[in-house]
Amino acid sequence: MLSRLVLVSGSALKGSGPLGAGLVHASRSLHTSSQSLAPVPPLPEKGGKVRHGLFPEELFQLLYPKTGVTGPYMLGTGLLVYLLSKEIYVINHETIAAISIGSVIVYAVKKFGPSVAAFADKLNDDKVAKAQEVKDLAMTNLVQAIEDEKKEQWRTEGRSMLFDAKRNNVAMLLETNYRERLHTVTNEVKRRLDYQIALQNLHRQMEQEHMIRWVEKSVVGSITPQQEKESIAKCITDLKALAKATQAKAAV
Amino acid sequence: MAGRRAALKTIDWLAFAERVPPNQRTMFNNLKTRSDAISAKLTGLPEKPAAIDWAYYRSAVAKAGMVDEFEKKFSTLTVPEPVDTQTSLINTQEAESNKTATAYIEASKARITQYEKELEKFRNMIPFDQMTIEDLNETFPETKLDKEKYPYWPHKPIADL
Repeated sequence: MLSRLVLVSGSALKGSGPLGAGLVHASRSLHTSSQSLAPVPPLPEKGGKVRHGLFPEELFQLLYPKTGVTGPYMLGTGLLVYLLSKEIYVINHETIAAISIGSVIVYAVKKFGPSVAAFADKLNDDKVAKAQEVKDLAMTNLVQAIEDEKKEQWRTEGRSMLFDAKRNNVAMLLETNYRERLHTVTNEVKRRLDYQIALQNLHRQMEQEHMIRWVEKSVVGSITPQQEKESIAKCITDLKALAKATQAKAAV
Repeated sequence: MAGRRAALKTIDWLAFAERVPPNQRTMFNNLKTRSDAISAKLTGLPEKPAAIDWAYYRSAVAKAGMVDEFEKKFSTLTVPEPVDTQTSLINTQEAESNKTATAYIEASKARITQYEKELEKFRNMIPFDQMTIEDLNETFPETKLDKEKYPYWPHKPIADL
């Protein structure tokens, strides 16, 4: 209780501290250690422990070394008896009201405290989770973007291949053209020579035919009718002789 | 004759294909088909034309000296190589593309450093459940509530809540 009192008065003083940076010393009068700009330590998970819903655990720990486990209870009982017997605290109807309201409050806090705390924590956790999601998404996007940039850089390194391909194409086309020219030259020369040969052959053929025809014509013209008669008579006698020879052969 | 042979470099089409970004794929395919057609045409042509059988012609053609004259002229004939007009153009194109590529790589590196910086900022951030509102405003300046523009709570237009 006493430690709580100190804390409460300290925060009240701080809160009601006068405005303006110049008077900050008055509001910081209860700070015993020097100021540090370190980040705020994480908030404690649970509130301060209390015994019987009212009395902070620190009191029991404070008195334990000197008076053991029952010390605070003895202190409490003695204090209560002293206050009642000396009538420093007078019992009236407010006492009954205080006892009933107090017990209801303590019971309610004990019963519903954890669930209310869990609910509030869940609200906070949702907010934190959303922020965390945003952060994770941003980080993965950045990593992906870095990967993509590196990939694009690697891609540009292949640009020389494109120009090699183009130069190759040009060289191949030139080579093809050159070869075609060579072939054309050879073919043309061959054609001319072949034409000469064909021309010669044609000449010779025509001369031959002409000569043959001329010889035939002259031979046919030179056969006089007298010679024709003689040749026919000779043919007939030859035939007769032949016929006699074959008849004789057939008979044998 | 000397300039002809050395020009052809072997191109690794597979490695080339890997480096092509997807939006330029059709151009790459067109280039490849054209190159293949040209090289097919080249390999289809024999390197030297068939030799002319001069002895046969000498014996066959009657005209005196004609074959000899043809042979002499043919052996002294040199076919001019086709003039290369495109290689210099390609070289200038390559120089230009090298320039743009280096500029692009510089810009890309600048982008990478920027991304790395932001990534560092995210990595070194304190966890959200240990932050105060001031820490949040420092890390994400866009969450800072503008108390001059909107002096009354909630310090932002109602529609943004």
